[in-house]
Amino acid sequence: MIPIPKKGTPEREAMIKEHRECVDSMKGVAGFSVLKCETPGDTTVVTGGVHENPDLRRVLLRMRGESPKGKLVVICTKIDAEWRIGRLSGVRGVPPEFVNDKVYTCEQEIQHDIFLMRLDELPETAGMPEHFTEGWKHRDDNWPVT
Amino acid sequence: MCAMRLTGYADKFSVHPGDEIKFYVNCDGPAEFKAEIVQMIHGDTNPRGPGFIEKPVEAAANGTYKGRKQIIHGGSYGYVEDAPQFHVESFTLQCYIWPTTPKTHPRYWKHGAQGLVTKWMDGKGYGLFINEEGCLELRINGHKITTGAPIRDHAWHFVAATFDAATGDVTLYHEPQVVYALDPVIEPVKTRIKTTIEHTEAPVALAAYVEKISDDPLGASSLPVGVWFTGKYNGKIDSPRILKKALSRFEIEQMKLGAQPGLTERRNSGPTGELSGLIVAAWDFWDGISTLKAKDNGPYRFDAQLVNCPTRALTGYNWSGQNFDWKYAKKEYGGIHFHDDDVDNARWSEDVVWTVPEDIKSRFYALKVTTTDGDEDYLPFWVVPKIGKEQSKIAVMVPTISYMAYANEHVACNAGGAELFVYRVPIMQHQNMFLAEHREYGGSIYDTHTDGSGICMSSRLRPILSIRPKYDHFLAQAPWQYPADLHLIYWLEQMGYEYDVITDEDVTYDGLARLENYNVVITGSHPEHNSGTQLDALHNYTQRGGRLMYMGADAWYWVHSYHPAYDDIGRGVITEMRRCESGIRTWRAEPGEYYHQGTGELGGMWRFRGRSLYSVAGVGMTNEGFDISTYYSRTPDSNDPRVAFAFEGISYDEPLGNFGLVGGGCAGLELDIVDVTLGSPPHTLAVATSAGRHTEAYLLVMEDFGFNQQGLDGTVHPRVRGDVAFHETPNGGACFSFSSIAFCGSLPWNNGDNNISKLVGNVLNHFMQDGPLPQPPADAIKHRGRADYESPALASTAS
Repeated sequence: MIPIPKKGTPEREAMIKEHRECVDSMKGVAGFSVLKCETPGDTTVVTGGVHENPDLRRVLLRMRGESPKGKLVVICTKIDAEWRIGRLSGVRGVPPEFVNDKVYTCEQEIQHDIFLMRLDELPETAGMPEHFTEGWKHRDDNWPVT
Repeated sequence: MCAMRLTGYADKFSVHPGDEIKFYVNCDGPAEFKAEIVQMIHGDTNPRGPGFIEKPVEAAANGTYKGRKQIIHGGSYGYVEDAPQFHVESFTLQCYIWPTTPKTHPRYWKHGAQGLVTKWMDGKGYGLFINEEGCLELRINGHKITTGAPIRDHAWHFVAATFDAATGDVTLYHEPQVVYALDPVIEPVKTRIKTTIEHTEAPVALAAYVEKISDDPLGASSLPVGVWFTGKYNGKIDSPRILKKALSRFEIEQMKLGAQPGLTERRNSGPTGELSGLIVAAWDFWDGISTLKAKDNGPYRFDAQLVNCPTRALTGYNWSGQNFDWKYAKKEYGGIHFHDDDVDNARWSEDVVWTVPEDIKSRFYALKVTTTDGDEDYLPFWVVPKIGKEQSKIAVMVPTISYMAYANEHVACNAGGAELFVYRVPIMQHQNMFLAEHREYGGSIYDTHTDGSGICMSSRLRPILSIRPKYDHFLAQAPWQYPADLHLIYWLEQMGYEYDVITDEDVTYDGLARLENYNVVITGSHPEHNSGTQLDALHNYTQRGGRLMYMGADAWYWVHSYHPAYDDIGRGVITEMRRCESGIRTWRAEPGEYYHQGTGELGGMWRFRGRSLYSVAGVGMTNEGFDISTYYSRTPDSNDPRVAFAFEGISYDEPLGNFGLVGGGCAGLELDIVDVTLGSPPHTLAVATSAGRHTEAYLLVMEDFGFNQQGLDGTVHPRVRGDVAFHETPNGGACFSFSSIAFCGSLPWNNGDNNISKLVGNVLNHFMQDGPLPQPPADAIKHRGRADYESPALASTAS
């Protein structure tokens, strides 16, 4: 399992740069992927991102597969106009809560900030034996469950 | 955090001209709301498209209405009205249970005690419960007796309690049916309580208990009206019994057999003569599985009314693993699984009634409700012509079963893996936020219940906040299902076509009669969920010369049936599906639980019922991914004169649909391909393909491989693509398949002036002509194999 790169390392900075460039290129697309549109906002030709950066790909997969408890999510607060970052409760019937007051006016931009927050929140050894909990024995990752 | 103060639904999805449609509105706060009938044209607010478009409709129902709050009393239970026989002095209560959430998180939406078999309200009466700590509890009036032993979840337990009024002796039994090496022994709890049971008018409740009986107007939507049930239980119950005497443990064992209605030469209704006289109720949940009654085979016939459609046709405590179809082993299928978020009918009172004019056009409509404070909701419905009074040559078949399957979907906030599907952080709309808090609005067939078990039924008699305009779905970060189908409607309107609309429901119940008077039938973007009679009708239609334009992908996939127990309140009220042995499944049915409770038919994929999805329109779904879309390129097949009509004005080399309001291209989300070995007719032309262009988020469906392996994604796998396809059917009919859910999202691009619009227009103009389509060239009539008699493993590339 690939470690989450530490703060200040060149690996981490390279991932952030690549992610940033992908996000910028996806602005205007009715969808999103961590890939680079050759023409911004146009998916005719896409390169880079998760297709060409195996470490970035694996780190993103790790982040995406985390348990819903406390997981960051995007909440649209004005249709096609405003978005904020929320955090899932992991408890059925308890809705997500906003994590801060920042309001985004681009639905893609928020993807990058969540990536940065997750890099800060996940320990380098996330998912490795030193983080073993009883929950591992009863699927508390909730990974395949809806 | 999120307040949707206006929600509602209609009593019908499809309504005929001249008929009445009723709307039920929850207006929580504002004193009044405005209601207007509108025609729905375009529901997508994306600034790169034409934007939201609706058309006002003059209607007698338009006006301002008094607002009132209406709530859903969610969660399933059974009840029997109060009767003198339940006013016992002594009793025995017993049943098997398989609880799924015996103990819940303190913040869980319905944290607290759960009722099992109760005749208890406000500290009066008696009943078996699971208490807040997850232990078995007997209540007699205000007395609570517990074993103190936490009940294991997802395991069968036998539980019983006796009370002898004369002596005050109480015994509480908790007997796990699965015992592990280090489990402590749970001894029966014996105590003595000197009390006389106080009886109330509260009904007997199964899987719940009565909180109060009141004339609060909010109780009008409960069943029975005015009775508020709480303590909704999550899990299975099997074989509950009530007797009017404190039985011995041996007699309790005998009563597990129930009232034994199958015996001949019978003299009584119990396992013994003595017990016969003591039975108050002995419910056999295996009896009447397709109904909404829990049958009491005891002497008083206290059949319990089941509310909110708990799941039946599930294995009981005694399932042997020898029979997998409940119809042939009913007595092993006595488990009813109750859920605290089941809902079959919101049961709201009507607020707006409209008699649809006789001369109205068949179209997409909605009741738009608003308040002066800015609240807004749309309650969609479809005006469908009566059979024989069709208004157009074109019919749009609205995939309402699929809309129901996705109704009020919770995947973005429930599933750890949701981001892995969509390859980005999901975006929740305000509807999702509301639903995250209001689980009583029920989930979709993609979700699991609040207890983690799969949802296999969906009702249309509730506000369905995902069947709304201005709603982007997390899967697409764009419209999906209803609002995505409005891309097609916008295009038809923009191009000036006259069209009728019909729904899955109409085709399911009326069969070919709903289709045969149209020259062409156009599908929605994602008609994934289908009834058998609907597929029959489509086959009969295309075989008789009908033309089918399949505008999307992942269709004809899952077996659905409407639950017959709701036929008396309307067509297609509840749809049922089971996620069986294969297919894309967000949950998976348990062993032995593959057969529908309503119709008894085998659930799962039509493909595994021997009904290939490829056989309906010539293509079948092989892959899905939800990040971004791409475009199609023409293939040599597109130069075949048989299909020349489709490509007039489109050059061979131009990219087809490298633009769009869903993923940025016409080929995306879920994609179908031609496969003549799986049911595509051998003469099918694959006229365009997106091969080689999809991202790694796109993955091959699991029914197409039997062994986990690398190389399943869109960057490498040859079957991860979409194929636009055409084939002729007998008698001048044909099918044209566009094979991508994202496809319709390209139609509105540049106000409909684009090459996807051109392609679809060419096909529609050809298909809508009167009479049979022109015959193909004579040399097209020839013998064809499936794989041309050549094993793919031996095929030479130099052929």
